Parts: sequence; structure tokens; C-alpha cells
Amino acid sequence: MVFILGVSFHESRLVKKCLETFYGIGHQHSSQILAKHHIFPGAKVGSIPSKTITAITAELSTLKIENDLRRQLRDNLQRLKDMGTYRGRRHAMGLPVRGQRTRSQISTARQLNRIERRG
Amino acid sequence: MFPTRTLLARSVWKGPNIVPLPIVRVVPGQKVVPIKTQARSATILPNFVGLKFQVHNGKIYHDITITEDMVGHKLGEFSPTRKRFTYKLSKNK
Repeated sequence: MVFILGVSFHESRLVKKCLETFYGIGHQHSSQILAKHHIFPGAKVGSIPSKTITAITAELSTLKIENDLRRQLRDNLQRLKDMGTYRGRRHAMGLPVRGQRTRSQISTARQLNRIERRG
Repeated sequence: MFPTRTLLARSVWKGPNIVPLPIVRVVPGQKVVPIKTQARSATILPNFVGLKFQVHNGKIYHDITITEDMVGHKLGEFSPTRKRFTYKLSKNK
């Protein structure tokens, strides 16, 4: 088991995939982090030295990921709602925000659009 | 990772949509007269903060007071144009 930012990962997992499990880090950011620490894309977590792991953890803690990012998202939506904009109202109603039709095909908006959005 | 939404929405060389509005600076103590307008596409500029507007929604004029957060948005965003659907029972069948 290897710990990155307090989360344990199995040795056999790819480093890139482990990084992408954090909310806010996708393909682009994980590739950048790998390149910065001289890790090749197919590297497993068990194969990299603990010094590099510490360096990656230190870098991740400076980024705005996980709960910080979720809070930012929620604050942005709450700001729209408090101002009384059309976008805020549509989020609160769980309907499409950018002028899409609502007669059919609004399942994505129904799932996601809300003020207390999970992420 | 976009610079801002505003940059994507409108060409930069145009600048913000500045509509000549009859803005009068009132003397403190006097009653604030809201600015009645139909220019929903007018961008809210920093010098609008604290003013009162009446923005047309196609039918009536909605009262809005500009706060600091609203700068950069359009006036029309604060004046909803659609009525919520309610089912009305028809009497004659």
C-alpha cells in the first residue's frame, strides 16, 4: 500500500490512474504532474521511490482539488442564486441553463443541476 | 481552463455592450428614481453599482438594485421572461 495525500493505493495500480481518482485532476493535470517528476506514463505506484511520492503529495496539497474545488463550485452557484440571475434560477429548478429545449432530453440537467451540487 | 466566460461570449475588440442609459447622479437625501429601460442586453458597468433599474421583461418592469457581484452580467439576466406553467382546469368540455 502506498499513501498519496492520505489515500491508500495498491502497488499494482498505475500512477496516472491513481492521480486521476482525485476530484479536479484529469488526464491533462495528471500528465503534467508525471512529466514534472520524471515518471513514465506506464509506471506503477509500487515502482516509484517514496521520495517522489512525498514530492507528489506536497504538490497535490498546493492544488485546488477535492473538497476545496467542490466548495468553490457550490459558492459560484450560490452567488448566481443570491443575485437572482436566470442561470441561478435554472440551476435551482434543475433545468437546462443554456437555453436547451425542455420538452425532452433533460435527464442530465435533472441529475446535475442543483444549488448544492455534489461535483 | 478558459480565461473567462466573457471572453468566449463576445469579441474582445467590441468591448462590453455599452448602452446610453439616462443615469442621473442623485443628491443624497433626495428620493432615488429608478431608471426604466428596455435595454436587456446592456452590460452592467462598475459605475452602475447602487443604482436602481426597472428592466422590461416583455410585459412588466422588474425592479432590481445593482450590487457589486452583478458587474459584468447583463441587465436582462435579472428580469425573468417566462411564467411558470400551472395547470388550469377548463370548465367547458
